[in-house]
Amino acid sequence: MNCAECRDNLVACAEGLLEREPLLELQAHLKTCADCAAEFRAVTNLQQRLVVRGQATAEVSIVGPVMRRVLQKKKEKESVMSKIFKYRWGFGLSAAAGAAAIILITFLVFPKTAATAAEVMARGAQAVAKLTSIHFRGELRTSPQDNFSYINADCSFCTIELWEQFEPDLKWRIEKPLRVAVMDGDSTTSLIKNGDVAAKIPKASINAFDSGWLQQIANLSNTITNELTNALAKGWKMNLTEGTGTNGRTEDIVTIEAKSGLPADDYLKNQFFETADTRRVYVFDDQTEKLESVKIYLHTDAGDILIFKLDQIDYNQPIDPSVWKLNLPADVSWYQNEMQKLPDNEKYASMTAEQATRAFFEACSQENWSEAEKFLRESPVDYLTKQYLGGLEIISIGTAFTSKAGPDQFVPYEIRLRPQEFYLRVSNDNPAKRYVITGVYDSKLQLLQELKWTNAPPILPDNDAYSKLSPAEAVRDYFAAQSRLDWDEMRKFTPEYDVESDQAEIGAARKEGLDVHKLIPSREVGDAFWSAEQSAWFVKYIETAGIKKMNLALGKDKPTGRWFVDGGW
Amino acid sequence: MDLTDRECIERCRDGHPEDFGRLVDRYQKPLFSWLAGRVKDGQQAEEAAQESFVRAFTSLKKLRKPESFYSWLLGIAGRVAKEQFRSEEHSRREREAAEAIAPDATSRDEDYQLEEAIAALPESHRQMILLRYYEGLSCQEVATRLGLPLGTVTKTLSRAYALLRQELAARENAESKINKPENYELR
Repeated sequence: MNCAECRDNLVACAEGLLEREPLLELQAHLKTCADCAAEFRAVTNLQQRLVVRGQATAEVSIVGPVMRRVLQKKKEKESVMSKIFKYRWGFGLSAAAGAAAIILITFLVFPKTAATAAEVMARGAQAVAKLTSIHFRGELRTSPQDNFSYINADCSFCTIELWEQFEPDLKWRIEKPLRVAVMDGDSTTSLIKNGDVAAKIPKASINAFDSGWLQQIANLSNTITNELTNALAKGWKMNLTEGTGTNGRTEDIVTIEAKSGLPADDYLKNQFFETADTRRVYVFDDQTEKLESVKIYLHTDAGDILIFKLDQIDYNQPIDPSVWKLNLPADVSWYQNEMQKLPDNEKYASMTAEQATRAFFEACSQENWSEAEKFLRESPVDYLTKQYLGGLEIISIGTAFTSKAGPDQFVPYEIRLRPQEFYLRVSNDNPAKRYVITGVYDSKLQLLQELKWTNAPPILPDNDAYSKLSPAEAVRDYFAAQSRLDWDEMRKFTPEYDVESDQAEIGAARKEGLDVHKLIPSREVGDAFWSAEQSAWFVKYIETAGIKKMNLALGKDKPTGRWFVDGGW
Repeated sequence: MDLTDRECIERCRDGHPEDFGRLVDRYQKPLFSWLAGRVKDGQQAEEAAQESFVRAFTSLKKLRKPESFYSWLLGIAGRVAKEQFRSEEHSRREREAAEAIAPDATSRDEDYQLEEAIAALPESHRQMILLRYYEGLSCQEVATRLGLPLGTVTKTLSRAYALLRQELAARENAESKINKPENYELR
């Protein structure tokens, strides 16, 4: 390959588009030609700068707010169109003006049915234009401790609740069984309850910790703006039908077919609310014009699955100030949420995603946690992670791939986790008098996870058979049920939310096409001992994990230029 | 169908304001990125970006070269950022914040030069860079979107890189960086 041919192919090479043969030729040429090598470095440097800029702005989305203002400007000029529009619906330049302006766009591009659907939504916004607070409780198919936007059709429903105060100042709280986030007007704090780890943003955030889509529903004005803007920009279908509510009153039902725009084989497709294709059904009371309920269905190959239902909405009700207080456990671990520049930062910044994955796992393998932290945004490495990943064995690291939904890279990996010793705390101090699991402890008898029974274990039809089991037998039966993925049997020994968490993990693994039975670790149940201090039995077991095969998500930290592990472990 | 900047602007002027949304969609990310190098934080950058687009819309009739929409928009955004900075200076509390930012903003000169260099590209090259990096499409996806052979995309990108590097080198050699927004006055 000569210099001219090399230059012609540099960009294709940097983009990873060259076939093996020309790639080898080009690489050979670069080794011998300093000018072309310098040119290649210049191209990749520029490319890297552009990638970083693109990644940093991935979340920017101001089309809706700008178009609302733009169309309001038009409206202020009292064009013929705006006069007709004003006459028909009587919107002034009130809080609903933005929504009204959006409807103007809707008229220009949507058929009559869709425009009418928009009208219903705009009226719904007007009905709650002077909202001082909102509280709603819904059910979402998700894992109890995962991100607020995480959805999984294989999970059971989990309660999700939102309180939002708009006046006199903005405050909000969002909670699901094992995760809560609170913005108290000054700062925003999130707590993951089962690991007792918290993170704090030292300012009042409009939304944070992945809660944006719920707040979008809470703020109807925004919902309309966003839904209609998206419908306009992306060609989503909108429809209006009429129904009758349980109270016999007429309901206006707006259905929106939202598309994520991701191809079917995209890794993140349908994993998060924003990356999913969904049908969103908003039900408004025809008389009060207020939103009464929301249902969201996930489109899957197996048909539509209801993933979110919201049927309790309280408007303008006083919210107890205690809602804005987050009670943190005394021994909570605080995550530092920022990467620091290292003395040898360049060494890490120049790594590929695959190299970073290997380096991270090697550090875990050697239990070199200060090294592992160089690949984490949140530090220090918590105790649970050390227990889990310490001493692992790397089997293979694959080739990175990306999703259209975001800038992260995903690196397939296979690791073997080392056998670990644990204890389960079991107790029969319940009306059913059978042993159930109430906590997980490590080999040093430090509590790893509290398993709280919100409702006492029920008395089973065949309760006698279970009440006769010894602590060790109960644990053995639980593990046997888990290895069969017998969820009903597992519920007899562990709380509902814990079973749901397992279901979520298994669901995620199935989506990956993995043989889930191979993923379940083998457990050898040992002796039990009585703890007078805790008034409970402790049953020892050794867990030998199978091979863990997943994709590690890596993001690029903008200030340091280093990869950080963003999930997938 | 992807309309060119000129087509979008002509449609807006012909009474189709909704087509301004295409321009906002096209340039919101590079504009935000450019502003982020000049103002205090992401929230201010977003506010300034919104204000810049709205002003651009109301002044659309004054734009003589529709194909230069983006560089014209940067001029407007430069003034919005300055106004934002000045209004902060009137507030004691905000002035302290502004003082803290000022050196930082200067140190990030190199950052926003990239967006200015992108603005100077011919539209076809600029479109390619925006789709590839700010929309996050792969080369193959860019090719599909624009209905071009993959080879044409890589060749255009190659040329765009060369032009960007020339432009960046010229900017890095320029003596005065502080007055740079004035290069983008309304025409």
